Amino acid sequence: MRLLLRVLAPLLGLLLAVVGLAVVVETVTLWVSPASSPLIVPWPTWLTAAEGLTWQSGGVRAAAIIVGVIGLFVLILGLVARRHDVFLADPVPEVTVTTSPRSIARAVGHEVRAHDEVVSASVVASAKKVTVKAATLDPAAEVRDTVRDVVETTLARLPLARRPRVAVSVTTTKGVK
Amino acid sequence: MSRRSRAAVARSAGGDRTLTTVLGLVLVAASVLALLVGFGVFGSFRAQRPVIDPLIVEWVSTHATAARWIAIGIGVVLFLIGLWWTLRSLRPEPRPDVSLSELPGERLTVEHAAISDAVRHDAELIDGVSRARARLVGTPQKPALRLSLTLVEGTDVRDVWADLDGRVLARAREAFAVSALPTAVRLELDATSAPTPARVQ
Repeated sequence: MRLLLRVLAPLLGLLLAVVGLAVVVETVTLWVSPASSPLIVPWPTWLTAAEGLTWQSGGVRAAAIIVGVIGLFVLILGLVARRHDVFLADPVPEVTVTTSPRSIARAVGHEVRAHDEVVSASVVASAKKVTVKAATLDPAAEVRDTVRDVVETTLARLPLARRPRVAVSVTTTKGVK
Repeated sequence: MSRRSRAAVARSAGGDRTLTTVLGLVLVAASVLALLVGFGVFGSFRAQRPVIDPLIVEWVSTHATAARWIAIGIGVVLFLIGLWWTLRSLRPEPRPDVSLSELPGERLTVEHAAISDAVRHDAELIDGVSRARARLVGTPQKPALRLSLTLVEGTDVRDVWADLDGRVLARAREAFAVSALPTAVRLELDATSAPTPARVQ
């Protein structure tokens, strides 16, 4: 989402600037030489098209809904494009250490997959929660505790500012051991 | 964690986010208002009025000059906000040179490239660091360091910290003749286990 914001923000700014410029240009043209108006934007056509419409018309409602959907998208983009850095405890004052959720997931994933009883595993991590889904050929209940221990040990080795919650789910798959 | 070291973690997207949020709110508000008028929330008579309201048309034709100035004013404001926003979000993040002395005749500045290369080289010598990137952010008077370190699988983060503070940052602080240099370190853990990743045939 941050990348999308990075791309869309200058475009939205440019759009505002273009709309503003068009308003100025058309107004000045209408004022100075009414004969050559409209210069670029065919606004008199739009005006005649909108003439018979009331607030109840289907077209007006459709336009309002479209604008609303675009507005909602832009609003949500602005609200959710935050950073997802995971903060580590500061080693010394004046130093801030962060890592990415992906790094945490990678580190946990390596440890879990290195375990003999685990056939496959997927890890999703954020600053608040680490979710591990693992598959095994053994009874799931026993492996779950082992995997949880592995995850907790891995997280304990990382000096995280706050320890995320750990959720482990293990399923037993069929196969030859 | 100081405010300046925290600000150095990444470029702020606060301005872009605020402007985008405000624009979204304006669009949503306009749309909701138009729909409410259409569904007769503000009176069923108002819902049946034309969108190009005769009252407004009459006002515009009697006060033509005022209406034009208002239109030009709105246009100029939109244009300036849009232009400022575009330039602001397209501008690259500055890489400040550091001024060590401002005394006349003894002005001394260190170029950004020299500092970041030195710090990067020092950081890459730490055990367990496979790749390092360094740059300065902030202003020449108040610079801060941003370091990205890629760690080899199984490296103990605490050992890296000790080396980082004891060697790399200590040297940087010494070079700048400051007691504290705000620093943001970004760690990539377990990126690769070996310089060339092993492939499974």
